[in-house]
Amino acid sequence: MAILEIKSVSKFFGGLAANSDVSFSVEQGTIMGLIGPNGAGKTTLFNCITGYYPPSRGEVIFDGRRMNGLQPDKVCMLGMVRTWQKVRPLAKLSVIDNVMVGALAHTSSLKHARELAMEQLKVVRLEHREDFLAGGLPIGERKKLEVARALATKPKLLLLDEVMGGLNPAESEEIIQLILDIKAQGLTQMVIEHDMKAIMRISDRIVVLTSGEKLTEGTPQEVVSNQDVIDAYLGESHA
Amino acid sequence: MTKTILKAVVGLILLAALLVVPRYVESPYALHMMILLFLSVSQGQSWNILGGYAGQYSVGHAAYFGVGAYTTMMLMHSKQVVPWVGVWVGVAIVIVVALVIGSICFRLRGPYFVLASIAVAEIMRLSAINLTTLTNGAEGILATEIPAFKIGERVITDFLTKVPFYYIGLFLALLTIGITYWVQHSKLGYYFQAIREDQDAAHSLGIHITIYKNIGLVISAVLTSLAGAFYGIYVGFVDPPTVLGLDVSVQIMLICIIGGMGTIWGPVLGSLLLVPLSEALRSNMITEGLVKVGLVSADSRVGLFLKENLAHAHVLLYGILVVLVILFMPEGLMGFLKKLAPRRNREAV
Repeated sequence: MAILEIKSVSKFFGGLAANSDVSFSVEQGTIMGLIGPNGAGKTTLFNCITGYYPPSRGEVIFDGRRMNGLQPDKVCMLGMVRTWQKVRPLAKLSVIDNVMVGALAHTSSLKHARELAMEQLKVVRLEHREDFLAGGLPIGERKKLEVARALATKPKLLLLDEVMGGLNPAESEEIIQLILDIKAQGLTQMVIEHDMKAIMRISDRIVVLTSGEKLTEGTPQEVVSNQDVIDAYLGESHA
Repeated sequence: MTKTILKAVVGLILLAALLVVPRYVESPYALHMMILLFLSVSQGQSWNILGGYAGQYSVGHAAYFGVGAYTTMMLMHSKQVVPWVGVWVGVAIVIVVALVIGSICFRLRGPYFVLASIAVAEIMRLSAINLTTLTNGAEGILATEIPAFKIGERVITDFLTKVPFYYIGLFLALLTIGITYWVQHSKLGYYFQAIREDQDAAHSLGIHITIYKNIGLVISAVLTSLAGAFYGIYVGFVDPPTVLGLDVSVQIMLICIIGGMGTIWGPVLGSLLLVPLSEALRSNMITEGLVKVGLVSADSRVGLFLKENLAHAHVLLYGILVVLVILFMPEGLMGFLKKLAPRRNREAV
């Protein structure tokens, strides 16, 4: 069953088509990878899905419901939450307070929110940082904090925007394990990533975007052996 | 645990001391200073909720202060409505005003919000000057006779001394501190701070930005209008510059910025510093002090110059103080004190 359907979504900024006529669907419980060269429109697509931009054309159907025109907060309450390519910690709040803000989406009790937040900190293995200020964490831990905070809103679909960007191999490996752990708990995920090795390992299916258009879609093996993808990444002369 | 008990004990002792002050202190001047302090705490604390916690730097809080003061005074003066009823009319009007202002200004972010908030307060000030039939224009409203406060036939107070004002002021200060405490320890406070730290991130976590900003504004505006009404009745006179001027808005902000934004005790510390300071400057206490310790002779040119000018320079000195605080204590007095204290929330290295 598809939890998310993208139907011919286009997004124009003036005359520029950041996304044009992109369609695909994400199956419940799977990980969908979203790749493409810089400027391919991956983050724009995330913004269209999560309510930051209204799509210029097309439809976003989540959990059987049309999402066009809904604000990000509403999108979150319906079960879709995203992280940010450039991390956005609530810098002057402690780590636990950051995650509590997420948990408060479904409860008004601080006590309950704190318990939920602590659970999520354990999931991302940041419980030892509980009382640290979020702004002072190193980048690897800030990325994990983003994930914990998003998980605390109890999503049905988690959208990760380059959650491994800027991390060293050891940190990336931890994030890969984390994503697989989250999948094992049955949560559907959509992941933007530049690290091809990582995306190959975690994705069930991959959508490739170039210049705002969908180039192809398939299993990781299908995608890497696709001549168009090789051309898009390496240029035709190298092929 | 023992720390909490200690804090509670200290708090109770302080509270008890504040409650009995009027029994032992008879000097009207001392009581007057305390009343100014309470007023300042409640102003700063009201601003703190919107500016310090939710991060929306309103430089137009004079609008709410002035509307609260004017409504109460106008009703008392021309309609003989007792102030403890009039004040609630003021609150009702301020809620409407705040929501109108919020719906316009909260479309804007950062510096644009600041400018819009100034503009709105200026509109209020100009209206007060020009709607002469309603507000008596630039002449202001003088209403010094407050009807006695009775329950049944029993007169509780006739407002002839400063003591009733002392208790009202104390109540107002405690109320604003209490509400700030409640905000900080509730979902509301978490959401306000999330909006302050990163509006887009907050939005993605299910926070309805506009609703929460408006809740913050309404709480803040209502408390500010209570302070305004209190000021009006206490002084017995309101006119556009004293309750609606831009410097009123700035003054309200400064209490909080200098004390420490987004903390419960920041506005209290700010008031403890600013109220005596501004009083000392205004009343030429500093020149007199310098003369007394013999640093400056009263008849010398320097002495005469200081006597002549220092009182007028209090705005200048105020400005210098703000610059110093922003340069050396960007988190205000509270932030400065926290840095001195052993750090519990040490940042990760």
